[in-house]
Amino acid sequence: MFCARIFDRASSMPILEFSNVSMSYVRGSQRSREGRRFALSDISFSVERGSFAVVIGPSGAGKSSVLKLVLAMQRPDEGTIRVADRDIGRLRRGSIPYLRRNVGAVFQDFKLLIEASAIENVSLALHALGLPRRQVYERAAMALEQVDLEPTTRRPVRCLSGGEQQRVAIARALAGEPAMLLADEPTGNLDPRLTQEILDLLANVCSRGTTVMLATHDPLVRDHARVDQELRLMGGRLVYDSEAARRKREASDVAANALVEAVA
Amino acid sequence: MIWRGTWQTTIYSMRRGLRGMSEAPLVQVLAIATTAVCMLLLGAGLLVWVNARGILESWGVDIPLTVYLVDDARPEDAQQLAARLSAVPGVERVVPVTPDMAMTRLAEGLGGDSELLDGVDPAILPVSLEVHVRRDVAPDFDDRLAERAAAFGVVEEVALPGEWADRAKTLLDTLGDVLLGAGCLVAFACLAIIWSTIRLAVHARRAEIQILQLVGGTPRFVRAPFLVEGALQGALSATLAIGLLYVGFDSLRPFLERGLTILFAAGALRFFTPLEGALGIGFGALLGVLGSRVAVGRYVES
Repeated sequence: MFCARIFDRASSMPILEFSNVSMSYVRGSQRSREGRRFALSDISFSVERGSFAVVIGPSGAGKSSVLKLVLAMQRPDEGTIRVADRDIGRLRRGSIPYLRRNVGAVFQDFKLLIEASAIENVSLALHALGLPRRQVYERAAMALEQVDLEPTTRRPVRCLSGGEQQRVAIARALAGEPAMLLADEPTGNLDPRLTQEILDLLANVCSRGTTVMLATHDPLVRDHARVDQELRLMGGRLVYDSEAARRKREASDVAANALVEAVA
Repeated sequence: MIWRGTWQTTIYSMRRGLRGMSEAPLVQVLAIATTAVCMLLLGAGLLVWVNARGILESWGVDIPLTVYLVDDARPEDAQQLAARLSAVPGVERVVPVTPDMAMTRLAEGLGGDSELLDGVDPAILPVSLEVHVRRDVAPDFDDRLAERAAAFGVVEEVALPGEWADRAKTLLDTLGDVLLGAGCLVAFACLAIIWSTIRLAVHARRAEIQILQLVGGTPRFVRAPFLVEGALQGALSATLAIGLLYVGFDSLRPFLERGLTILFAAGALRFFTPLEGALGIGFGALLGVLGSRVAVGRYVES
């Protein structure tokens, strides 16, 4: 079963590892491999702890599918997915909630209770952890302060701006102190100024040690100073992994240096 | 600290369940009222059955054999005879009835007219033994046992309830079976009403359910407020049904008792005991939990 201590922030293991992962959405009678349309095909990558990874690609590239797999909302058809060194493809149904307590998620459509206030929305996630009421409100207020929102406001969320609503969603995802934060097109509905604000906020979250994985179709996001890794998807295939490319470059540099030293 | 988390979760579920009910008061009132009407019908049937059984028992139809002893029989004679009859294979138990016990039963049987017995000495009533036999004995066992009992010197008379008692018992058993069938139907109707109400609540709160599942709420945590809601609906319906039944029973009781005394020489009628009432409310809550569990089950698991 997943619990907080397996997300050891000091561990040297990658927090997320995809190895030859393929995934399809089964519809109706498409049970055979030939009849399926694969949303992801043979994807392999890893994300280091505390890094800021961006999954980038056009609509239908498979970005959301990657996040759904990490949240165990879908199961892979092939390959293994390891979160904090646990194979979540084999996770028992009863363990999925405990995985999700350690992996916060933010969505493009915010997924908020629009008639409830910001603090009520954030509290909802903490009630699910079984915390005492007082602690719930203290931690919810802290999470809202972290995203520069006033915790005492009683206004329903529908009265807040899009940027503020996204901040509430981020506060809710952070309230449980997850080791990893997934954000699926968190800036999709926001203007450029609010987009920058949300990216700065996520970068700030990452600086405090939380791994951030952001899926977006906006190529400008990868230019953000805090982004450590870029994963580019196209038609369900991983076409570029900046971290893998860096490792390859480093390996060839080492080989070249060795060759130069040998010749000299 | 698991118990602490469970306790906090329970408190949250109770509060959320209550809030859920207050969010749709009209639906709740309608559901509780409709369920209460179903339970009222079931309760009325049960009450009829309980009292019919009481009347028949007061006539002694459930006692296959009553052995009356002679007036000068000593208590030890009664004890010896009881021991000998108990030893007969097929006899389940023998209950000695003293004159005082007989007088109390007679007074209960007379109900409101029990003052007729004021000043009557219980000693005028004979000591008797009630002989209960097992269900699996031969049809003529009662007659043979009566003959054997009558042979004892201290026995004045042996009374058999007769064919009418068998008919009355059969009637009562049939009434019981009919009530059981009707009870199942009513329980199903209550389940259906609670199921539809909780289904509406699940639909209204689907966004909340989805969010709770995404933030790591266990299926049990997500389901619990709906189960609380269902249990409260069932328990409130049962309480309302019992309350209405009591009001109706209390108003009709004097007329019914008068009529029954004239027709059947039956005594006082009785309402459900507090324990039976509590069991009824518990049954209502259980129906509510079952109905809501079915309503919320597949939605949450999916």
